[in-house]
Amino acid sequence: MDTTQQVKVSYDNAIVKNFAWATVIWGIVGMLVGVIIALQLPLPGLNFHEYLTFGRLRPLHTNAVIFAFVGNCIFMGVYYSVQRLCKARMFNDVLSTLHFWGWQLIIVSAAITLPLGITTSKEYAELEWPIDIAIAVVWLIFGANLIGTVWKRREKHMYVAIWFYFATFIAVTILHVVNSVEIPVSFMKSYSYYAGAQDALVQWWYGHNAVAFFLTTPYLGLMYYFLPKAAGRPVFSYRLSIIHFWSIVFLYMWAGPHHLLFTSVPEWTQTLGMVFSLMLIAPSWGGMLNGLLTLRGAWDRVRDDAIIKFMVVSISCYGMATLEGPLLSIRALNKVAHFTDYIVAHVHVGALGWNGMLTFAILYWLIPKIYNTKLHSKKMLDLHFWMATLGMLLYVCSMYFAGLTQGLMWLDMDSDGYLKYPNFLDTVLKLIPFYYLRAIGGLIYLLGAVLMAYNLFKTACSGQLEVNEEVLVDANFNLENHEDEEEEGVHRWLEGKMGLFLVLTVVASVAGGLLELYPTYLIEGTKNHQVVVKPYTPLELEGRDIYIKNGCVNCHSQMIRAISAETKRFGNATTFAEDLYEHPFLWGSKRTGPDLDRIGGRYNNVWHYRHMEAPVSMSPGSIMPAYPFMITNKVDTSTTQTKLKALRVIGVPYTDDEIDQWKESYEKQALEIVESLKADGIDAKTDTEIIALIAYLQKLGKHDAIKK
Amino acid sequence: MSKKQDKNIDPLMMDHDYDGIQELDNNLPTWWIGLFIITIIYGAYFVTDHLILGNQVSAEVYREQEVLMAQKAKEESKAPSVKLTALTDAASLASGKAIYMKNCMACHGLEGQGVVGPNLTDPFWIHGGSVDKIVHTIKVGVPAKGMIAWKSQLKPQKILEVTSYILSLQGSNPAGAKAPEGAKE
Repeated sequence: MDTTQQVKVSYDNAIVKNFAWATVIWGIVGMLVGVIIALQLPLPGLNFHEYLTFGRLRPLHTNAVIFAFVGNCIFMGVYYSVQRLCKARMFNDVLSTLHFWGWQLIIVSAAITLPLGITTSKEYAELEWPIDIAIAVVWLIFGANLIGTVWKRREKHMYVAIWFYFATFIAVTILHVVNSVEIPVSFMKSYSYYAGAQDALVQWWYGHNAVAFFLTTPYLGLMYYFLPKAAGRPVFSYRLSIIHFWSIVFLYMWAGPHHLLFTSVPEWTQTLGMVFSLMLIAPSWGGMLNGLLTLRGAWDRVRDDAIIKFMVVSISCYGMATLEGPLLSIRALNKVAHFTDYIVAHVHVGALGWNGMLTFAILYWLIPKIYNTKLHSKKMLDLHFWMATLGMLLYVCSMYFAGLTQGLMWLDMDSDGYLKYPNFLDTVLKLIPFYYLRAIGGLIYLLGAVLMAYNLFKTACSGQLEVNEEVLVDANFNLENHEDEEEEGVHRWLEGKMGLFLVLTVVASVAGGLLELYPTYLIEGTKNHQVVVKPYTPLELEGRDIYIKNGCVNCHSQMIRAISAETKRFGNATTFAEDLYEHPFLWGSKRTGPDLDRIGGRYNNVWHYRHMEAPVSMSPGSIMPAYPFMITNKVDTSTTQTKLKALRVIGVPYTDDEIDQWKESYEKQALEIVESLKADGIDAKTDTEIIALIAYLQKLGKHDAIKK
Repeated sequence: MSKKQDKNIDPLMMDHDYDGIQELDNNLPTWWIGLFIITIIYGAYFVTDHLILGNQVSAEVYREQEVLMAQKAKEESKAPSVKLTALTDAASLASGKAIYMKNCMACHGLEGQGVVGPNLTDPFWIHGGSVDKIVHTIKVGVPAKGMIAWKSQLKPQKILEVTSYILSLQGSNPAGAKAPEGAKE
């Protein structure tokens, strides 16, 4: 190897520092919102303002933790490691700066729009279309900067961490673009292009793979860099890296439909979702093994180095979550756990354990490095480790118990075939003690993070940021001159071919998406159902948008699964045909309150009015927030007609008359509801939100069938 | 085993390091390979069986089977029909009261005085005030007026108990009673 010529390279630490502090700050914000919403469940009085109800804050929590906390940590780790793995400064400093500020701006816009009720309601993709576009642009800037840096690398082969970064960039680009296809109706309102079961398949293909390619692959990349660095040990097995990388990239994309078992999506997709999930156990564990076994010979460090401790717990949580996920995709287990807090526990093993702990470890390792100093307090670091571990355990154990308790209560029947707990509220009230425990666990975890912030701040104060870290590396590595090196394996050869590597990653990751999603377009053909449902009237449509705005879908499902305990409780299972015009689908993924798919006509208008005004008046003990503001808020009907037109463009069969005479229809239907309320002495106004919402709720499950 | 590998560390090193990170090239753990292969074989078997050979228990069928089983169980336990009479023993009335407080109170009031739903303490009945008629109303509900059907939630015996409790409220004249509705019986 020609080592005579050396050049000076300066690594950009300023950008790493920016992302690091953003990680710390947004992490605390995201966890704080988490603690607040955890307390809003047992203490519904904490929903004190329209903008701060559970339904609006829960997406803020998930977005802040996933895209702000984990997102910034990914960028911090990638910017730090890629420069060093490629022996090159980031491709372009301007792109780095744009990337950083662009991403923070997106986070701030999420923090503003979500409480305002500006949401698409699709989980982890709630942000509206202008922000979706901004995300795509900033993400491409990140990709260009990443690929550009690898392109001008001074190291022939790309290290395994870079493979995972590439997979992250490619897959997230595809997922975000495909899932965000929507038709705008105004500056901050759009409807998903897909509807019903099709929308559900696309959304959970996205949702599942956001976990895979935003919370998993980038973190595996970070693990492959920071674990051997921190432990000073060689990576256990290169060939294991290869096998588990390609199998993860290929298999993950197929597993999405395991979020939709027993629902009205075609059964073959459910079956594929399940088997591909099972096949993912070994590849996921490959990552865990390569992490844990790298520590062979360094286990003594686990005893006294809290950074290594954090990493070990993190990787163990990864192993647990990736075993549990496939098991939950088995129908028999899914039946119990789906829609309950069990899933909340499952994702928090991932979020608090795998993502949180690895983030902490990297921050503790990296901040002293770039500030050229030592960590301020090792004691605080140790304390943080125990707070994080205990907080997480308290959180997940309470939620596992809560989930199993409720899931089994829902299914429980006596020998006569009657539900043992027909009153849904009974199954909710059982969980209150667990909700308090969960909040305490979360609070301990949050306080640990605050302690870390203080420790890192003091560390930074005691040192000086090395803005440009200068090192001497081998001069420009001419890739062409090294073809004659000693014989290398095929994969070794591939690691020197960036373009080909990227192409193969695209192929491997889109295979599952294409083969599973393309048929969902064919499902379009099943629109030739004998009967289809009548689209929502203008009033019902506005009511539905109020339902979306207030995040009702965060607690109420609209999917009665084909399980007898469920059909006994809520009515006939939800069918494919009745959701054909549901843009977007509102099946939900968590059932804190009862399913609403067939709520229409069950209660009268007065009941709904009083229930929205003060839920406990109609349902003593209910933990649902009160929505008194709906009684005074006026519906903004300035875009109603545009909404009808937009929906017609994407296939909802509104007639010209219905669109032209929307106002007459709206007022007539609203007046009927107002009159019915008047009979019970309630003086409501036709133009208020409550009237539209009642119209929508009364329509649920009462679709008039029309012949096609 | 680990001893053997430790001895082999040097030959296992890859040709170079990345920013000081070195890689070994250990063999994959046998159990890991086994696990991977088993899940793949099982996946292939499951897909073949369910999707190609068509042995799937489709969700629809699954549901019907369960419903049929439950119905059968219900019919077997069905007692021969008898003319219903109100229960008067303290235990039944206490049980009826408990059912009332949980399910009926929100709409008919703590003392049956009527809130959203009608007053149950006066002799005026919209859907009939005999035991049979009240049991029937509770069973199938009055969906148009917001009273849900309780037959899937309350067993016949429970419905009779709560009916008996309601009848025991006749003439109790609670404060704030709702104006009479329906016909006098």
